[in-house]
Amino acid sequence: MRVRHVAASGCLLAALSFGVAACGSSSKSDSSGGSTGSSADTGSTSLTIYSSLPLQGDSRPQSVSVNNGEELALEKAGGKIGKFTINYKKLDDATAAAGKWDPGATSADARKAAQDKSTIAYLGEFNSGSSAISIPILNEAGILQISPSNTAVGLTRSQGADKGEPDKYYPSGKRTYGRVVPADHIQAAAQVTYQKDNGCTKLYILNDKEVYGKGLADQVVSNAKTQGLTVLGNDGIDPKAANYRALAGTIKSKGADCVFFGGITQNNAVQLWKDLNATLPQAKLFGPDGVAESAFSGKIGSKAEKMTYITNPTLDPKLYPQSGQDFFKEYQAKYGATPEPYAIYGYEAMSIALQAIKDAGDKAGDRQAVIDAFFKIKDRQSVLGTYSIDPNGDTTLSDYGGNRIQGGKLTFDKVIKAKS
Amino acid sequence: MEAASITETASAPPPARKVGDVLNAYALPLLLFGALLAQFIYEPTGTLENVKTGLSNGMVWALIALGYTLVYGIVELINFAHGEVFMIGAFVALSLWQTFGVTESTGLALIVVSIIAFLVASMGASATLNVLIERAAYRPLRNAPKLAPLITAIGMSFILQNVGLLWRPTPDQVPDLIGSHSVYFTIFKVDVLHSDVFAVVVTVPLLIGLLWFVGSTKYGKAMRATAQDPDAARLMGIDVDRTISLTFLLGGLMAGAAGLIYALYNLTVRFNMGFTAGLIAFTAAVMGGIGNLKGAVIGGLIIGVIQAVSDGGNFLGLPLGEAWTPAVVFAILILVMVFRPQGLFGEETREG
Repeated sequence: MRVRHVAASGCLLAALSFGVAACGSSSKSDSSGGSTGSSADTGSTSLTIYSSLPLQGDSRPQSVSVNNGEELALEKAGGKIGKFTINYKKLDDATAAAGKWDPGATSADARKAAQDKSTIAYLGEFNSGSSAISIPILNEAGILQISPSNTAVGLTRSQGADKGEPDKYYPSGKRTYGRVVPADHIQAAAQVTYQKDNGCTKLYILNDKEVYGKGLADQVVSNAKTQGLTVLGNDGIDPKAANYRALAGTIKSKGADCVFFGGITQNNAVQLWKDLNATLPQAKLFGPDGVAESAFSGKIGSKAEKMTYITNPTLDPKLYPQSGQDFFKEYQAKYGATPEPYAIYGYEAMSIALQAIKDAGDKAGDRQAVIDAFFKIKDRQSVLGTYSIDPNGDTTLSDYGGNRIQGGKLTFDKVIKAKS
Repeated sequence: MEAASITETASAPPPARKVGDVLNAYALPLLLFGALLAQFIYEPTGTLENVKTGLSNGMVWALIALGYTLVYGIVELINFAHGEVFMIGAFVALSLWQTFGVTESTGLALIVVSIIAFLVASMGASATLNVLIERAAYRPLRNAPKLAPLITAIGMSFILQNVGLLWRPTPDQVPDLIGSHSVYFTIFKVDVLHSDVFAVVVTVPLLIGLLWFVGSTKYGKAMRATAQDPDAARLMGIDVDRTISLTFLLGGLMAGAAGLIYALYNLTVRFNMGFTAGLIAFTAAVMGGIGNLKGAVIGGLIIGVIQAVSDGGNFLGLPLGEAWTPAVVFAILILVMVFRPQGLFGEETREG
């Protein structure tokens, strides 16, 4: 009797664990396309576009929304370009244990795409630090990679980047990566302009030590100095700390009137905001696009949100061309929710990938032809407005939006014309 | 100290101590204290402020560290799932507040009642969970090689983390029932906040209660006997399995309380909070001397203070800061381990 009881409880536990494990990884390889394994180079008519985004933890709402945007774009194109059927496969570069993107999961995703002969393009990663890992893998394989959201400067440009960037990411010597969002040298200028517009004089800068957060913070430091703000410090935070009370105390004692955090929600930004706001209730708190998501805006609480200012490349829907406004309506109709800020960039990343495939014409099965077509894109009329891809793979768009938070929702404040 | 230690040594008179041993035992705490004193002279108000924050943070680490030390003392297992038991305690408390609609605007009497009632509930939930984990995942491996339960413990930790992820995939706000950041009183220019007072008021009675329980009751005696020698304890008529369950129950109770305090103190809970908290608390237990209850408490407080002082940035002109804190904590741990492998207050364990 006793033995049976034990066995039953063990089974229950095992079922629970397997169930949970299965749930945790169900999005690991979520395929919405058909066959695989056919070669892109051998004239097959089936091509695959991979998406790799962090689908676990706080990143999930934003990432799912980006996936939706990508899916919507593919659907609008009818899932086909000429004679080629486009399959779309969603990968996950996050792990539950990390609660955000993970280097191991990222390289596994990139290798998976690199080994699939039908792969023609790879949309990702969401985080710049993560792309720093996948770009070299996909570059060796000669696959076009387009990020819907990376803003770290060093991924494409040497100016203002770390030593060895960006060349170290491109072992083949040829460029294979591009992005549809303006990079951080533009965001940093916009961020500092926004800070000045709101009366900042003494700025304390924090960062999460990632490629994105640290890079952006460094850019903000140099921009703040040229625009005449006093920079009191630029410190990395411990993203695993239980709270930031001691740090906030230090910032207070230095007399900062504004604090900027270069980092992402997943590196404990909500806790940081609460402690900063509680200790420095008068200080204005500035965040970048890395915290422009509901997982952040909906959680910081009504007191902190009154002091919060966020820069984000997504603008008010009204400021987009008709096709962009339609995107917001179609998204709402199809998914029954307002898109997260980066959904429109997901839509555009997929659309521009499809255009590159289309422009390659009969050679659309040839990876290099598609890459070449991508870098030739000029004056593309998109949901974001008209833009070109420059030789670095960057967009020529440069508008950033200033946002406030009201009732847990990001609300558009104004367009910031950056003075860089 | 004898009574409070779960791995109490037999009552033979202690051997005469050499001067070197005494120096070894007291030099490190003195060194740490000296460093703190120097920093205090260097920057009085900031240091006091940080020490205060560190002590109240350390209360939570101490409560969690007790769970590690209790379990290690009695079965020599590092219960890696313990951090997650703490996380579940915090989740349970928050869910109860949400279910009963308790918010900042609820009346004071109701808030107090809800805190007391849900403290009991989250302690109960964590304790039950901890006992179930022991029953399902550790007891069948009681006689297996040491590595087997260790791996099981890591496995349980990941499973519970996934449960947390399904339960609350994004960080959730806790209603600010105690006015966490409001100033309660000011002493020596240092603002003591509601949350600091709350952490102390809840933690200290629990610590005293636990020390009393282990040191002075029949059950505590059974625990200490089992820790010394399970076979002999069994021969003396002690139900060893039940005693081990009791140990996990006590550890769980402390973790549940820590969960509720953490939630009201920091106002945010997230599914992976247990992993870091567990690591810090485990470090605290090792630093204090694993198996020693007072050691775990003092280890927790010491680590809390080290973290806060390092977070504060400027240590005697050395530009530390958030980014360096984990490195500083572990550098000090290594220092302690090199000179006192048994921890600051540790004694030899069964294997030791």
